[in-house]
Amino acid sequence: MGFSVSGSAAIIFAAMFIAFGMWHSAATDGFERVTDAQDAHADSALDRQNTDIVVESAVKDLDAGITEFRVRVNNTGSTALSVEETDALVSTDTRGEYRDGWRADATVAGTPGTDLWLPGEQLVFNLTGNTGDRVKVVTEHGVADSAEVTGT
Amino acid sequence: MASVSVSHMILFIASMLIAASVAGVFTETVGQLSSAIDDQGLQVSEDVRTDVEIISDGSVDAYNGSYIRLHVKNTGSESLVPVTDEINLFVDGRFVPAGDVSVTLLSDGDLWRPGDVVRVDVDDDTFTIDGDVRVKLVVNGDEEVFEFRT
Repeated sequence: MGFSVSGSAAIIFAAMFIAFGMWHSAATDGFERVTDAQDAHADSALDRQNTDIVVESAVKDLDAGITEFRVRVNNTGSTALSVEETDALVSTDTRGEYRDGWRADATVAGTPGTDLWLPGEQLVFNLTGNTGDRVKVVTEHGVADSAEVTGT
Repeated sequence: MASVSVSHMILFIASMLIAASVAGVFTETVGQLSSAIDDQGLQVSEDVRTDVEIISDGSVDAYNGSYIRLHVKNTGSESLVPVTDEINLFVDGRFVPAGDVSVTLLSDGDLWRPGDVVRVDVDDDTFTIDGDVRVKLVVNGDEEVFEFRT
């Protein structure tokens, strides 16, 4: 009778030990994943709070029949931004249009071909092609600014 | 005396079998629970990492007479799949079926990575556009609202 009780208890305890191991590893993994995600979210929120841009000007130039906007945007925040992850939209009264292909010729503080757009620096780029009335620039964190197009 | 040993043996085997059965059911149940906890952790982490922004200019009429066009940027840290099943849309509180939504990734690749922009076109088959329009977009539990006037 003693062997029966001891043997059964040993099997049950072994099962509980294994089950706790399974539960513990799953719970720890899940907790770590969620904590990492919350850290990334908090970092992103902090970066967003520290990000600010101002579209200084969006000037339309007529050169050889091609309408071109020269856009100047200042990084007035305190985070380093990425030119590659910055977006530009051109709007008319009736339509907003996403524009691509301007990054290759963009300059930051007079330097072409750089991806880093540091605090205090000015990003300058040209948007060619269609006409437009407003230009909106959006950073990687979603912080945006827009300006009316001026000039002829 | 022999009968006592046999009965002890039978009781021993029976108790072992019952204990093994209980242990098997217990570990199986906890295994399923652990798997569910793992899945939920993954899902919650994806939800927390997901953040999108509608970057279309709100001062512009996003409706062209047959569809609403929005530009949506992935501002989170989770790569998303740019398919209509992943994006739920409501126009003035009315749900838009996935068949009336078209999603186009405006960068190379198949994944909607952080920093990438997608163009979302919403056909007006199931709603009427007039006056002030409110579009609600839901991706992985992250909700964004875009309002414009026609």
